Amino acid sequence: MKIRVIGTGQSLRGDDAAGLEAVKLWQVRHPESAARVQVELSELPGLGLLDLLEGVEAAIIVDAVQDTTSAGNVLCLGMDELAGFIPGSGSAHGWGVAETLQLGKAVAPALEKCRITLIGIVGKDFRMGTGLSPEVRKALTRVVEMLESEIQSLL
Amino acid sequence: MKTIEVPALARVEGEGGLYIGLKDGQVVEIRLDIYEPPRFFEGFLVGRYLQEVPDITARICGICPVAYQMSSVAALEKALDVEVSPQVYALRRLMYCGEYIESHALHIYLLQAPDLLGQPSALDLAAIAPEVVKNALRMKKIGNEVLKAIGGRSVHPVNACVGGFYRWPENTALQALIPELEWGLEAAKETVRWSLTLPYPELEIDYEFVALHHPEEYAVMHGEVLSSKGHKTAVADFEMRYFEEHVQRSNALHSHTSYGSTYLVGPLSRLNLNHEQLLPEAQKALEENKIKLPIKNPYRSLIARAVELVHFYAEAIQIIKAYQPEGPAHLALNLKAGEGAGASEAPRGLLYHRYKIDENGRVTFAKITPPTAQNLPRIEADLFALAPQIVEMPQEQATLTAEHLVRSYDPCISCATHFLKLKIENRE
Repeated sequence: MKIRVIGTGQSLRGDDAAGLEAVKLWQVRHPESAARVQVELSELPGLGLLDLLEGVEAAIIVDAVQDTTSAGNVLCLGMDELAGFIPGSGSAHGWGVAETLQLGKAVAPALEKCRITLIGIVGKDFRMGTGLSPEVRKALTRVVEMLESEIQSLL
Repeated sequence: MKTIEVPALARVEGEGGLYIGLKDGQVVEIRLDIYEPPRFFEGFLVGRYLQEVPDITARICGICPVAYQMSSVAALEKALDVEVSPQVYALRRLMYCGEYIESHALHIYLLQAPDLLGQPSALDLAAIAPEVVKNALRMKKIGNEVLKAIGGRSVHPVNACVGGFYRWPENTALQALIPELEWGLEAAKETVRWSLTLPYPELEIDYEFVALHHPEEYAVMHGEVLSSKGHKTAVADFEMRYFEEHVQRSNALHSHTSYGSTYLVGPLSRLNLNHEQLLPEAQKALEENKIKLPIKNPYRSLIARAVELVHFYAEAIQIIKAYQPEGPAHLALNLKAGEGAGASEAPRGLLYHRYKIDENGRVTFAKITPPTAQNLPRIEADLFALAPQIVEMPQEQATLTAEHLVRSYDPCISCATHFLKLKIENRE
């Protein structure tokens, strides 16, 4: 099965970097799994996310999310559950993961055949600057194991 | 007192608010308030080595990074008296073709078309016209692929440097783009035909159009600054004729001419001033579709973008077919203290840079005048012209008409701002 792992988020916006950091940590801890899938780190893919999903049968997107639950909480969402997260901003710079996937669903029927999973890490501080909050940093190990488990179920 | 507020405006770049004040049924004040925080790029360029500048300034915008790179290398090469080879120049134009393609396809179909087709967003447009959006994404993707082939990645490419490029892109990678570019050229011609079927609001403005102009090519990186009032200004003298000033309510500077008037930069200005330099395919699109110039309706700038799409797809094909890199990709630089100004045409309009460097090639002064800052006073003036129509409209229609006007400029308010609120206050 052709699988792509996509870590996304802005490295200069605090906890928004959680997706990037989690995927990098997973590559270090599970090099054998990482060698069997394609890995993309993309800070702000916007509409380009649809290109990253082309030609794969399964994709796991790891990203920071804002949620009312506690910082460091980890969510695992399928394509249908993501539909509820459409913010409707749609600025040229700001096509988010959920709305881009929704757009992809409408215009790229091939995406229907791609199993898409989002592992979302609830962030606390998205202000300018580097470094994750302690809660989010602590959650990275759990994210890595969840990502590995998801990949093992696909391989 | 009556106050009307509407939710955030989508599909513009930046954070701003629009205020409309009414008294005795007349519009007395219109302000486009820009509260996007200042970004201090000019400040933190100071002290940097000149080769860092193109990659830093590219980060100002994710939609038009090439424009920022090209204006900065032009200014810095001027400071060093560097003249790049025709091959480098052609490759830079090719990068620019990629940027125009991705930016215009995005704006035409995903940012402005929903307004004209009565849809709240591109997502809604995709639901009723999936093929239109699908083609738009394919058109946009080709532009990003051009950038990736030359600059290593599709956003914020990294290959451009003062004196040329760090390396020549692979010829095979560029040639492989031709089939998709040829598809895109046909799609762009269809976009022009389609653009003429859309229901644009009525608004005619007597603009002073300002754009780079070159007698032998559709000006993007070379030429003089031409105004429809007949003024020709060398790029080095840009600041003598076009001034920026701080406006208290706004974190973006506002521009005006030396004689105090507003002016317009962007696709309408380029097309109206430079249509004779369009490639034959784009000239033909103008003729076959009986497009009369000058276009003075800001909403119809979509048509100008569509015609430019034809031009830039055709030019991209032309450059790639002729691509035969020889010799070094960049010149060795002889550092010296100096000063230089450079300008290029970002998809949104004229982008001006000026730098001073010391004998070690470190920046001691930087000035950047983006297109949206030049257009902000013009957008406000257009809204004044639109106001008599707006005040007679129901709230929702008034809001949409005003928002649509702002969107039609494709403003990059911060090259970073993210929404605009409309507030109409009745002072009666």
